[in-house]
Amino acid sequence: MTLIETHELTKRFGGRTAVEGLTLDVKEGEVLGLLGPNGAGKTTTIRMLTGIIAPTSGYAVVAGRRTDGEVEELHEHIGLLPEAPGFYERLSARRNLEYFARFYSNLQVNAQVEKYLKLMGLWERRDDRVGTFSKGMKQRLVLARALLHEPKVLFLDEPTAGLDPEAACEVRELIGQLREEGRTILLSTHNLSEAEELCDRIALLRTRLVALDTPEGLRRRLFRRRVMVRLEGIEDAIVEAARGLDFVLSLKCDGDRLIVELADPERERPELVTRLVEAGGRVLEVFEERHSLEEVYLSLMEEQR
Amino acid sequence: MTRKRILNVLHKEWAVMATSLNNVLFVTLLPLLITAQALLFVWLVPRFAGESLLQGALEKLRAALPSLEGLPAEEQFQVLLLQQFNFYLLLIPVMIAIGFATFNIVEEKQTRTLEPLLATPVWTWELLLGKALSGAIPALLITWACTGLFLLGVVSLGWGDLLGFILTPSWFVVLFLLVPAVAVLSFLLGVVGSSRAADPKSAQNIAILIVVPVLALIGVQVAGLVWFTPLLVLVLALGVWVVDLLMLRVAVHLFRRETIVVEWR
Repeated sequence: MTLIETHELTKRFGGRTAVEGLTLDVKEGEVLGLLGPNGAGKTTTIRMLTGIIAPTSGYAVVAGRRTDGEVEELHEHIGLLPEAPGFYERLSARRNLEYFARFYSNLQVNAQVEKYLKLMGLWERRDDRVGTFSKGMKQRLVLARALLHEPKVLFLDEPTAGLDPEAACEVRELIGQLREEGRTILLSTHNLSEAEELCDRIALLRTRLVALDTPEGLRRRLFRRRVMVRLEGIEDAIVEAARGLDFVLSLKCDGDRLIVELADPERERPELVTRLVEAGGRVLEVFEERHSLEEVYLSLMEEQR
Repeated sequence: MTRKRILNVLHKEWAVMATSLNNVLFVTLLPLLITAQALLFVWLVPRFAGESLLQGALEKLRAALPSLEGLPAEEQFQVLLLQQFNFYLLLIPVMIAIGFATFNIVEEKQTRTLEPLLATPVWTWELLLGKALSGAIPALLITWACTGLFLLGVVSLGWGDLLGFILTPSWFVVLFLLVPAVAVLSFLLGVVGSSRAADPKSAQNIAILIVVPVLALIGVQVAGLVWFTPLLVLVLALGVWVVDLLMLRVAVHLFRRETIVVEWR
């Protein structure tokens, strides 16, 4: 079941185009990462999908409802973690959550507030003013606020931005838990390792959609897969034996390592190793070189320049 | 659900307002000062200025209240001054409503609470109405309470005999039609000012312009240019309500989701 669907979604502010012709979909239980440089249109996309701003053209359907229709109905089914936490700093954590919770229909306000304050480890600080909270605590409180009404879809706009590594790790763990619970999440982030860790698919955005695939799919699209074989010693016979294999796309030596490009390493690697051993090679280590998502990202963004 | 949401906004606004001692003092002390100042003014002016000072206004008052002729000149002068309080008290709803509007909306801008709020099922008009009521209700109640205090002060200072000349139909039109209209207008100006300002003080600087026509009302009456009969006050109140409707259109336009998120900085 598709929970987020966009069709040629476009937003212009005067003469400036923030998002152009965005078409994508997110299935139930999927975590989609939205990556892109500053000004790529990530926040504008989230604002359009949450019905806060209307698209200039195109449309989006979230949780079965058009985002340019009666958004109050849509808002019963979505949760938002915006760029800034947005709390009444002089009110307590509990009072803040109660205020937001009371806008939803048929919600057991006290029970839900207690449930999520406990889940986020903030129950002991429930009556403290939010202004006294650390950034990490505020971010956990934002997550609690976004989840109070058990939304079908969650929009997280840079949830770890500005947090120290420990707090960022805590927030990532919480998002990981939500993923395991099968929540549908659209996560905008600058943190590529976070995207790789948490997202099933990644949409690279630079006003337009640059690429949409799994992290592995993006890697494969850009880079051939390379297997490194470390040997006790590399002799010509070993190199020739490897070259003789028809599935080897390219090969080069680097010290005690053979770097071999393969189309399908899972299938071809055993045969490669067998051939090297038959040629007298003593194999010490075999591993696949993985391109980081950062390399993929930079490469794709470079293509767009 | 709408009523529940509006009450939710209302209670939150009051809760936030109550957390600031400055705001509490502003809402309670300022109206008391305005009331005390009015009484002090009525007590001092006849002692240091002759009735010739406001001769034009006195003549208009005598024409409006012929029974005034039976009173000594000093008391006639006092009635004239006491009568000005009905316009002077308009400063109370102006100050309170502007204070609430600018404080609450600018605070939401500064703490960036509007975006998560706009992602809940609340309608923007519910939000605006809740905020308007949170300012208008205390503005009205405090204004009426101060009117009571003022009348109590009048009696305490020994001017009780003059009450019959003060509590004219104009007073009641001002209290129950003009004061609410001015409170709403002040709040809406506060919203408009807040949408353009980065801090409450800048917003108040824009909204406080409403004080000018209020002072002008007192000025034209005291100078004897116009005497506000009940009919004229009624027309004035209805005129302010019309302006309220126009300002409401502007405020609702400014209070749309997209405008708030994209244009309010």
